Amino acid sequence: MRLASKARTTRLISLVPLVDVMLILLIFFMVTSTYLDLDMVPMVDRAGPDAALPLPRPVDGQTASAPLLIRLGADGRAYVRGVALNPASLTIAIKARLAELTDAQIIVLPSAHASVQSLVSLMETASAAGATALRVVRLEEAP
Amino acid sequence: MKLRRRDARPATETIVALIDVVFFLLIFFMLVGRMDATSPFDVIPPRTQAGADMPGGGITVTVATDGRLALDGKESERDPALADLFVRLKADPGLLVRVNAHRDARLGDVLPLVAEIERLGAGRIIFVVTPEAL
Repeated sequence: MRLASKARTTRLISLVPLVDVMLILLIFFMVTSTYLDLDMVPMVDRAGPDAALPLPRPVDGQTASAPLLIRLGADGRAYVRGVALNPASLTIAIKARLAELTDAQIIVLPSAHASVQSLVSLMETASAAGATALRVVRLEEAP
Repeated sequence: MKLRRRDARPATETIVALIDVVFFLLIFFMLVGRMDATSPFDVIPPRTQAGADMPGGGITVTVATDGRLALDGKESERDPALADLFVRLKADPGLLVRVNAHRDARLGDVLPLVAEIERLGAGRIIFVVTPEAL
């Protein structure tokens, strides 16, 4: 007598729950994600390399170690010693100051009415000119 | 003559290709996406070529053109927002504070805020910017 052996069938694992979970995750990430290309500019970094920079000292006149003071007007233009400068002229002025003193500080005194974009553009110009020590200061009302 | 009937079960369509595509899309969205609190008002960050890569984590302070504030996507008055920030900075002194100010916002609204946040104990404050194409 010959016994017929049962055909060996491999049990298939259902992939449908896996697809369900992945689709839910996919939809979640598609809905919650934002696709903005954003960068950053550090404003305060106490642990950074600039943290040890000395605070600028008040000076009576233009001395060898005096920082270069750039005023940022309400119109978004940079003023050095009362003269409005375009970005190209500002770059030349900063480079000239850095040529005199390589670690010269650049102090930016912005108007309260200037825009954030004008300050960021000024910082970008200064950075491109080679400035490494840049501080933004503002005037506060006396208590 | 007896004809054998074919199996009535429908042929199983392979879903392996579907899983491949869905998995690929899932990984794509997980990698390129950035989960963040959305701002309650429109904010267009300033453009610059001098920006660095944005670090993850931290808390976001959003400043609108008219000076309105939002803390992690929730609009708030200045004093409650700063009080909330103070509590969070006390719990985590190394907390990164991102200032996402509209490019047309007045510095008179933004810089005092940054100074105030620094006074509260924040050691790392960054400006959110948009990279400008060269």
